[in-house]
Amino acid sequence: MSRQPVANLWQGILPALVLMAGFFLLPILYTLGLSLTTEGATGLSLDNYHRFLAETTLTDALLRSLILAISVVVIATVLAWPLAWYLAFCVTERRRVLMLFILVAPFWTSFTIRAFSWQMVLADSGIVGTGLRWVVGPDTAFGFLYSLPASIFGLGLFGIMLVTLMVYSSMVTIDRRLIEANAVLGGTGWTAFREVVLPLALPGWIIGAALTFIVAVGDYAVPTLLGGGLRPVLAQVMLSVLKGTYDLPMAATLASVLVLVILLCVAPLLLLVRGTRLQS
Amino acid sequence: MTGALASRALAALFWGTVAVIYLPIGIMAVFSFSAARYQILPIPEYTTEWYGRVFTDGQYTAGFVNSVLLAGSVSLVATLIGFACAYSLVNARFPGKAAFTFLILAPLAVPLLLVGIALRIWTTMLGLQPSLPLAGVGQVLYVLPLAVLNLRNRIAQLPKSHEEAAWALGASRLRAIVDVILPACRASLIATFILCFTFAFDEFVIAYFLTNFSVTLPIKIWTTLVTGFDPTINALGTMVFIFSLSLGVTAQWLLMRKVR
Repeated sequence: MSRQPVANLWQGILPALVLMAGFFLLPILYTLGLSLTTEGATGLSLDNYHRFLAETTLTDALLRSLILAISVVVIATVLAWPLAWYLAFCVTERRRVLMLFILVAPFWTSFTIRAFSWQMVLADSGIVGTGLRWVVGPDTAFGFLYSLPASIFGLGLFGIMLVTLMVYSSMVTIDRRLIEANAVLGGTGWTAFREVVLPLALPGWIIGAALTFIVAVGDYAVPTLLGGGLRPVLAQVMLSVLKGTYDLPMAATLASVLVLVILLCVAPLLLLVRGTRLQS
Repeated sequence: MTGALASRALAALFWGTVAVIYLPIGIMAVFSFSAARYQILPIPEYTTEWYGRVFTDGQYTAGFVNSVLLAGSVSLVATLIGFACAYSLVNARFPGKAAFTFLILAPLAVPLLLVGIALRIWTTMLGLQPSLPLAGVGQVLYVLPLAVLNLRNRIAQLPKSHEEAAWALGASRLRAIVDVILPACRASLIATFILCFTFAFDEFVIAYFLTNFSVTLPIKIWTTLVTGFDPTINALGTMVFIFSLSLGVTAQWLLMRKVR
C-alpha cells in the first residue's frame, strides 16, 4: 500500500483539547475547589457547605430542583414507551421520518420562546383559564402558572420528546425477525414487548432518562417563567447569588452541589446501562 | 403485532402529545396578529403592527445583529475545530483517545448553567471582563460535541482508498485533506455549521452569564419577558420560531441527503 506522508496525524485534536481543557475542565475543577475555600482563610474547609445546609431557602431550592427533575423523568420515561412503540412498529417507514420530525422540530427553537408561549396559555387570563371560567364558573381561579407543577409540565414535554427519541432509536434497530419469531411461537404483543423489545430498548431508555434529568435539574428559563420567582429552584438561587450578592464561593458551592446531585443520580443509571449491555 | 384498537389508541396518544407541544406556539402566532394589547377572544381586529415594531425597535434589531454575528463566529470556529478533531479521531492513534473522546462529549452531559457559571467564575479569577467574545467561547463548548459527532460519522464513512490514492500521487497529508476529504464532506460541513448556528443563535444561559451590556436577541427577549409584557414578543417569537425551524430543516435535509 502507499506510504502515509505523515505517520499519525493526531495534532488535529490540539485546538479542541486546548479549548476543552482551558475553558471547560479547568473552570469546573476551579469552581469545585473554590467551594472548599473561605474568604480570608487559608486551607480547605467545608464552611460553605455548612452555610448551605444551614440556610433553608437554599436547601428548599435543592429539594424543589430534585422534585422537579424526578417528576419530569418519571413522566417522560413512562410516556416514551407507547410513543416510541407507535413510531417504531405501527407506522410505515416513510411516514415515520415525517412524524419524528414533527415531534422534534419545535425543540430546535429556543427554550425561552417556548416557555414564554406556555406562560401565555397557562396564565389565569390565558386560554385554559378562560375556558375553565367559562365551563366551571366565573369565580374559578386556575392558579396553575407560577407553581412547581407548571415547571414540571413545561420540562416534561421536552423530556417526553427526548426519551421517546432515545427509546425509538433503540427500537428501530431491533431485528424484526425476533418479534415475528415470538408471534410464531404464540406470543402476543405484550410478550413481544416484555421478552424482546424491553430488554433491547432499555439502554436507550436509561440514557434518555439520564439526559432528561440533567436538563431538568439544571434548567433556569422554564422554572423562572413557569415556576415563578417566589419558590426558586437551585438554578435560580445560583443566578441570584452570582448576579446579585456576587458571593463567588457560595455560587461555586451551589454549582458543586448541582454537580454532586447529577453524579449521584446519573452515575447509577449509567452503571445500569453497562449492566444491561453485559447481560445481552 | 399491535391490535387495531391498541394501534388507534397509540395514534391518539401520539397526536395528542404533538397537539399539546404545538398548541402554545400556534396561540402565540395567532395573537401576534391581534390588535389588542392583551389576549382577548374573539380577536377584535387583525394587524401586522407588532411585526413592524420588531423592525423599528432598535433594540431588537441590534440584538438580532449581535446574535447573528455571535452564532456565526461560534459555528465557524466549532465547525473548523470539530473537523480537525473528527479527522484525527477517525484516522489517528494516540494515548488517552478514549478519555479525550469522553472529554469532548462531556458538555452534552453537563447543564449549560454549570458551563456558564464555571466559566464566569474562572474568567473573573483571571481578571477578564464579561463580553460577547467570552460568551462565544462558552457557546463553542456547547456546540462542539455536535460538530465532532456529525463530522466524525461522515469522515468514518469515506473510503480510505481515495485519500491513499492522493498520497500515491504525491500529495502531502494536509494537501490530501484539503483536496479529497474536505470536498467529500462539504454537505456535512454546511449542515454542521447550520446546526451549530441554530443552537448558538437560541442559546441563552451561557450568554446571560458571560455578557454584561452587549445583548443578544435571546437576552433581549428574556429581559423584556421578566420586566413586563410587550405584545411585540408574540410577533418576534413567531419569527424566531420560523427562522430556527427553517435552519433546522435545512441542516437535517443536508445530513439525510448525504446518506443516499
